[in-house]
Amino acid sequence: MREPMRSNVSAPSAVEPAAKESDGVRMPGAGPAQSPTPAIRFTRVSKAFGSSQILTELDLDVLPGEKVTLIGPSGSGKTTVLRLAMTLERPTSGDIRLFGESIIHNDEGLPRSSRDEARIRSCCGMVFQQFNLFPHMTVLENLVLAPRTVLKLDKEESRELAMEHLRLVGLSQKASSYPGQLSGGQQQRIAIARALALRPQILLLDEITSSLDPELAGEVLEVIRNVAHVTQITLLIVTHEMRFAREVSDRVAMFDGGRIVEQGSPDEIFGNPRSERTKAFLQSVLNH
Amino acid sequence: MSWDWSYAAQILPDLLWGVWVTVVVTTACSAIALTGGLAIAVIGSTCGPAGRLCVRVMIELFRGVPILVLLYFGFYALPQIGVTLAPAAIGILVLGVVYAAYCSEVYRGALMTIPPGIHDACVALSLPTRVIWLRVLLPLAIQKSMPALINYVLVLYRQSAFLFAIGVPVLLARAQIAGYQSFRYLEPYTLAGLLYLLMNLPFVYLLHRYRMTNAGAHA
Amino acid sequence: MMTAVFEYFPAILDGLLTTAIVALLSIIGAAIVSVLLGVLRNSGQMHVRAAAGGAVELLRGASALVYLFWAYYALPALVPELPRFDPFIASIAVLSLVGGAYGSEIVRGGLQAVPRGQSDACRALGLRPHQALIRVILPQALSQIVPGFASLAVDLVKWTSIVSFVGVQDVLYVANSVRSITYETTAVFLIVAALYWVLCLLVSLTFLAIERTLPLNRALRASRRPTELPLKGRPLSAQPLVLQE
Repeated sequence: MREPMRSNVSAPSAVEPAAKESDGVRMPGAGPAQSPTPAIRFTRVSKAFGSSQILTELDLDVLPGEKVTLIGPSGSGKTTVLRLAMTLERPTSGDIRLFGESIIHNDEGLPRSSRDEARIRSCCGMVFQQFNLFPHMTVLENLVLAPRTVLKLDKEESRELAMEHLRLVGLSQKASSYPGQLSGGQQQRIAIARALALRPQILLLDEITSSLDPELAGEVLEVIRNVAHVTQITLLIVTHEMRFAREVSDRVAMFDGGRIVEQGSPDEIFGNPRSERTKAFLQSVLNH
Repeated sequence: MSWDWSYAAQILPDLLWGVWVTVVVTTACSAIALTGGLAIAVIGSTCGPAGRLCVRVMIELFRGVPILVLLYFGFYALPQIGVTLAPAAIGILVLGVVYAAYCSEVYRGALMTIPPGIHDACVALSLPTRVIWLRVLLPLAIQKSMPALINYVLVLYRQSAFLFAIGVPVLLARAQIAGYQSFRYLEPYTLAGLLYLLMNLPFVYLLHRYRMTNAGAHA
Repeated sequence: MMTAVFEYFPAILDGLLTTAIVALLSIIGAAIVSVLLGVLRNSGQMHVRAAAGGAVELLRGASALVYLFWAYYALPALVPELPRFDPFIASIAVLSLVGGAYGSEIVRGGLQAVPRGQSDACRALGLRPHQALIRVILPQALSQIVPGFASLAVDLVKWTSIVSFVGVQDVLYVANSVRSITYETTAVFLIVAALYWVLCLLVSLTFLAIERTLPLNRALRASRRPTELPLKGRPLSAQPLVLQE
């Protein structure tokens, strides 16, 4: 079996092996002897749109229950990682596995059928920067749609499930409102509840506070902190909120130009970054 | 010649019958145009470039030819190739198909303006394709198209007067016959014009109400 | 098989000429009515706006066909002093008025799309309102108005087909006679449809050419030129059409 965590940065990280070993937070759940199947595994994944190379030979593992945050300048390919895992994009080359099953090829090496693809990705939920709530449905209808049609629950069960998740995000009183009547922060909390109602094992969070005012961002991040503490869900997060990233993650990966420049525990990355690129990036973000 | 009230009263029932025919014809045309247009739009956006090209060609052909010519063509040429239909059926089909092509453009435009994020969200929720179309994309597209579609129905209603040319007893045809029989044209055509104008009011009300409810939903 | 139709082809072309003349005069008439009504609908005075709006709604309320019948058959009876309308003039008048009512919406929208700052600037420069409208606002608005008016002009070409009902011998009128003589219905109507189609195409192309000469479009093209140096030597027609975005 491969090492649970790999990185395509080599030179700088090899310098300080001692520091790595002593840091227990670094690899939660990753025992040295038997490591579990990663929830998400990217193997040499490249993605190009036309002539622009977004990701270059990316290797990334996220273990079950692990909370991983991707940081880096915009355009560095972080969001593409999430969209690839959700099958919203197809990689130009490389393989992506969710709990050991490839979403690209079947066992014979042929492209996955769309039905297989849908089955495999159903362990994955995603929350978007622009919320993407269905504007013509009430909050409750937004939450009920997928449990009804995907999990095939009956009316009562799906309603129950929806209300339970609305309570989780603290918005059960808004069940009959339309998305347009809610604040951005409330809409994003609804979107989180909608994703969680399918009970995914992995939740992908794509810059979920980027289109919100700072005071509204707070309530959304609070919901995620809560979810991260209460559940064993695997989180893969793209964010520009460095304090939030530091609090909630087990591991932080710094992206630049379609590669992981550096990764490590939040304390390492934010407290003692090794790469010049990371230092410069954090400098610019913190001064902002 | 001055206005003759008793003559006006005498022809009014006949004209009102024409109003009824106009309503029926408009309803039938609208049904074809609205559902046919939706079908064309969905086929066009799922069948790739070839399907879209077909629709495009059809629309471009209709766009340059008067309704009247298409009506005559249906009325005189179809029987020659062995298709005999009642004039009303021909009129309804011609108007319905032409406006289905136009409406399909409205639906297609609405489908295109649905933010790509909505589709992403559907995929992220693992919704099956059928559900994505029936529960999310089509309701959104129809909602967005509504004002333009009501407008097309209004145009269809006004255009339905043309059906008199192939002998369908719409309001204008009734007025013409009444005038013909008594050699008095003032009352029939004036009454017909007023009735045509009056029948716009339900549409005005509909559009107004749509704007109000829509403003409410996004408040 | 179609020889009989070709025998009457010169007559059909005569009809086409009539159609083209009616269309041309109606388009010009509609343009004038459009601008008049459109400007009145943007008037500062409430009752002027309301009256113009009422007129537009009235004219759009029924099809041109209904108005033509009313103007030709009923109006002379209502106002006996009027000389009996020439069908040709009645047709053009009705098409201009109805087309102008639709066109006024396009003009109004175009005028409203010109940024508010432009009329403020005119006032600051001391221009009278009508000077501002004619010299500054309308020339800019044309960039929006002309494309909209192009599709109205195509509609007007198609609407001219109604004039055959009052006896103007347009292409459809001639076609109907040819049909009743030769019984070659399919051929006759295919030819007529093709002729209308070509006429509409010509009108579209003409308006595309007009669009290119509009002041704001020329200015936009010119302002793009420095960034597109390789285009400098090419004739104007080879450059991309720039509209307000």
